[in-house]
Amino acid sequence: MKLAFVTPRYGPEVIGGAETAARMLAERLCLRPGWEVEVLTSCALDHLTWENTEPAGTSVVNGVTVRRFPTASPRTLDYFALDGQLRVAPEVATLSETRTWVALNGPMCPGLVDAVASTDADVIACYPYLFATTVDAIAVSEVPVVLHPAAHDEPALYFSAFRRSFRDVDGFVYHTRAERDLMEDVYRIGARPQVVLGLGVNDPAGVGRPGGDVLGLGDRPYLCYLGRVDEHKGCGMLADYFAEYKERNPSDLALAFVGPVSAKAPEHPDIVVTGTVSEADKWDILADARVMVTPSAYESFSLVVLEAWTLGVPVLVNGACAATMEHCRRSGGGLWFDSYRSFEATVGRLAGDAGLRAALGEAGRRYTEHNYLWPSIIDRYTTFLEGVVARGRRLALRPARLDLQSGGTAYVREGVAGGG
Amino acid sequence: MADRIRYLDEVMAEIDAEVRRRRASGDLPAGLERELDELFLEFSPVGLQGRARLRETLSLVDGSAYVDIAVPTASNKAVGSYIKRAVRKGLGWYMNFIVAQIVKFAWSVSRMFHVVVDHIEDLEAAVDAHRSPDLPAALQPSASDGASWWAPAAAEALAGVRERVVVADCGDASLVESLLAAGVDAYGVDPSDLALEPALDRGVDVRAEGVLDHLDVVADEMLGGIVLTGSVQWLRPNERERLLDLVSTRLAVDGTLVLHSASPGAWAASAPAVVRDLAPGHPLHPETWAHLLGGRGFAVASTIAGGEDRRLAHVGDADADADAGTVNAVIDAINDLLLGPTEYLVVATRER
Repeated sequence: MKLAFVTPRYGPEVIGGAETAARMLAERLCLRPGWEVEVLTSCALDHLTWENTEPAGTSVVNGVTVRRFPTASPRTLDYFALDGQLRVAPEVATLSETRTWVALNGPMCPGLVDAVASTDADVIACYPYLFATTVDAIAVSEVPVVLHPAAHDEPALYFSAFRRSFRDVDGFVYHTRAERDLMEDVYRIGARPQVVLGLGVNDPAGVGRPGGDVLGLGDRPYLCYLGRVDEHKGCGMLADYFAEYKERNPSDLALAFVGPVSAKAPEHPDIVVTGTVSEADKWDILADARVMVTPSAYESFSLVVLEAWTLGVPVLVNGACAATMEHCRRSGGGLWFDSYRSFEATVGRLAGDAGLRAALGEAGRRYTEHNYLWPSIIDRYTTFLEGVVARGRRLALRPARLDLQSGGTAYVREGVAGGG
Repeated sequence: MADRIRYLDEVMAEIDAEVRRRRASGDLPAGLERELDELFLEFSPVGLQGRARLRETLSLVDGSAYVDIAVPTASNKAVGSYIKRAVRKGLGWYMNFIVAQIVKFAWSVSRMFHVVVDHIEDLEAAVDAHRSPDLPAALQPSASDGASWWAPAAAEALAGVRERVVVADCGDASLVESLLAAGVDAYGVDPSDLALEPALDRGVDVRAEGVLDHLDVVADEMLGGIVLTGSVQWLRPNERERLLDLVSTRLAVDGTLVLHSASPGAWAASAPAVVRDLAPGHPLHPETWAHLLGGRGFAVASTIAGGEDRRLAHVGDADADADAGTVNAVIDAINDLLLGPTEYLVVATRER
């Protein structure tokens, strides 16, 4: 069986949840006997410019065959103007407007689209929904297409161009049930083949150094945050909440922000900001944390929650985040907060109750082992793909590939089944 | 898994109680608490859940409806502060005029939201008043596991269906898998995570959701077949109406509906008293389903009786013994009235 991934950009240099997820799947699937994997992608690594920085042609990246195609044009200012206009009322934007938005969002890769049209793969996997490469690949593919939407509740999700495009998708692969619920609510695609796959967790790579030593905290207990230190990830809120907590509940508890800093780093005597650390340091810090906190309300999967659970560390998550809440509710491995009051109460309870921490951590560990180890993920994925291939290509009335000049709304083919 | 979830619920209930206690104690200045909660909402999706959130968000709207015209005039440079004070004084009459209108508008919007929220809460109270009590979890009727007498008949009815077929309350998904083995493109839904877990591990397309919620997110005429069992027997009347509406739109014309139910008599005889008294609904007769489905464009193709055979056997040789014939006639009457088939299957086709 041969699978071709279609992603707008690809490589270990690419920092992005969806692109990283595609790479993790591709690298493991290509090791499975009987499976051949290739990646069709652009020569760009920067999604803000789509500048061709990688050479076109075929290369091998961590065992995966990667075919790169140049982008036809860089992103232009027209995109930002149209985006600002359409996101105010995305549901009422016309098909033509939203197809122009997709084209301007890019990347437009004519060579990639031709490669999809003539692929010898048995099935195409597009990842994520938001880009022109995905919409074009769905439009021209002769073989079954599965889509990993990696969808959030954002204005673009409501664009009619995607509604049109999703009608030709043969199967959907979701990170979480929350993502599936969102997609089914918006597109009423509940009857379509689907699987909630998620991602696998790597084996812990710590070297056994005490986390307090890595952080310079000695024996002090600490909470930790893992990931990009960014206002949009809720880091500012977490720092403010923690500072208020310490003001009202004096103790030696500290908070460590571990990850690259892309906003102003929080300043407080009990807060440590490490910046980027090695994998070994990351795992050692995590292993000795009292609790791992993810304050972000906009996670589509949150691998770090599962990483904490592989070490039996309980988590505290944002009660407004559907994905991390789903992990906690299904596993029983973490608590949540939805106000300063509940933050104070949960942190107080977790910090002072070793039995609770152990019970939550153990529940999370079991959940992760049952659902998110790579071998079982790949088993479920290959079973799903085999089912999709067996069903064959499902074609509705299909639009031609995106065309920036015309808005690209010409429909070219009558298929075997229609409807969304 | 159920134990872990129960433990989590208990801990969160204790934490919620602690939050309420601290809030009531007023140990955190109201202004500071509001500021901290605004911080949370600033980085949260708009549609936060729950009535409490509605009120909290409304209080944030109220708090933001006032616009302060006293612009700060502090500056690092002495002359800067002087200039700012002069500008503020010079433009005060103008800003006051504009801000008064903005505040008036903001208060109008805020008042409108209060009216809407009050109305929503009234509606919720009215709906709550009509809610029947939920059955204790231990007494919930269990769904069929799909491996029963009617599975072959269902598979036969659905043979040759090309579009997807959904099996509601699919339990361990054995019926889904036997349909798949027969070449039917079937998938399942069931509200119980626990029941579905083994099937999910086997890679079967099953989803943890109720049949009504699922059909809600299916586009019209996308299904070639629907199998209803389990909860369909004890739906509330309004839920049953909604189910019929959904079935008659999601199923393609010419699609097949397979409905399995306990017979009302058998259910009344076997269900515990508490279940009979508190169940939101109860099984219908097959004739009633035929009537309801007929009104929505379905034609009933067949009704098959089955389940546990509790009928009394005939005695003696009726041909040789007149008394035996009389007794057997009585036995037949008793069988028909009290000991008939415990379950039935209705197969119907959507004709319009």
